[in-house]
Amino acid sequence: MTGAQAAGLHGREADSAAASAVKAMQADGRHAEARERYSELVGRHQRRASRIAFHYLRDAAEADEAVQDAFVKAYQHLNSFREELPFEVWFTRILINGCLDRIKARTRREKWVAPMPDGPTGERDFGERVAGGGPSPEEQLLSRERRETLARALARLPERQRSVFMLSHYEGCTSREVSALTGLNESTVRVHLFRAIRKLRALLAEGTVSGMTVEKQRVNH
Amino acid sequence: MSIINRLRMSAHLDEAALVSLWTDATLAAKAAVHPHLERCPACRHRFAELGSLLVTMRVDAVSEADEHFSAERLAAQNAQIFRRLEAAERPARVIAFPTFTQPLTSRSSNASRWVAAGLAAGLIVGVGVGQLIDLRHSLTPNARIDARLTKTAAPVTTASAAPLPISSGRDEVFLSELDASISRAPAELRALDAFTPRAGDQSR
Repeated sequence: MTGAQAAGLHGREADSAAASAVKAMQADGRHAEARERYSELVGRHQRRASRIAFHYLRDAAEADEAVQDAFVKAYQHLNSFREELPFEVWFTRILINGCLDRIKARTRREKWVAPMPDGPTGERDFGERVAGGGPSPEEQLLSRERRETLARALARLPERQRSVFMLSHYEGCTSREVSALTGLNESTVRVHLFRAIRKLRALLAEGTVSGMTVEKQRVNH
Repeated sequence: MSIINRLRMSAHLDEAALVSLWTDATLAAKAAVHPHLERCPACRHRFAELGSLLVTMRVDAVSEADEHFSAERLAAQNAQIFRRLEAAERPARVIAFPTFTQPLTSRSSNASRWVAAGLAAGLIVGVGVGQLIDLRHSLTPNARIDARLTKTAAPVTTASAAPLPISSGRDEVFLSELDASISRAPAELRALDAFTPRAGDQSR
């Protein structure tokens, strides 16, 4: 057993204990104490949750709201949490469902409302432009282009393939965990991951080639 | 080992096989193991390339998310979560709308209600009494006619001292004849006459 796995196991035990304690306190009407104990769980999963929400939604503000909603919902429905399932899995399921609902709502909204255009260089935030001391502007540009290409490629994956890829690859979940999170069986998870990687490779190669073609055309002109 | 198996082992791994190897390794959280990979540097290189591409993707994705969620932002998010939880547990607050300068249920409103009731009662009593008085008058027509007669007679007596025009004398004669005929009329007609409005009543 690796150190990370052991830490994960201890974390899960701690999560389970904390969730049970919060549940008991809620049942006794000791709400202030329950909230205080719940903060332990929030602190442990907040960063990971924000990351997952951001990968799904590609918008920091919306991801922030989705994470808040998921934690509030999890607290309010903690009595339906079963101890045999890790808290992390149960909570991530709530979060992913919330993110998928938001994506659906956004798609519906975008049908009727024209999106706000980004700035001339594509930045969304002034802070991003003036941040100094990091990588050079050229590196930043390259990195942003790479991320955008990847995000576009990911967005073209079917929903299940995208979920499986993000959970297993970005979050390092095992097939069993992804199966518990998505409700798919383990062999299906494997198939989805396999297809996702093949499709991503194809899309990225296509994107790189087309990007290079455009660049060449620019140079020739 | 059969010839086919040997051939298979010596053939390079295709894209699908590499991805499959990588998928299995990732999901099991173990290192990829394949006999061909150990012997073939070209396939090892291709497998390493695939791995590095995917690792770059992960690093990029994670660092991008972490750039957006700084420690301060996470702290603000945490605070917001607990504000919402606290607000959800607090009992609902009733907001008075619209706001009046004086509350609706005060003692003065009780008093004004009594005053209004008293005024209404007074009005009803007044109307009732008025109706009763009218009724009593209507039941004694003779008295009413007598009163009218004395009223009409009085100006005649006062006016007799002054010289009257010829037309007023004729009127007087006509009126006294009319009164005399009324007093001679049957009781049913007298009652009807009592109900008929007079010019004098109108002017009052």
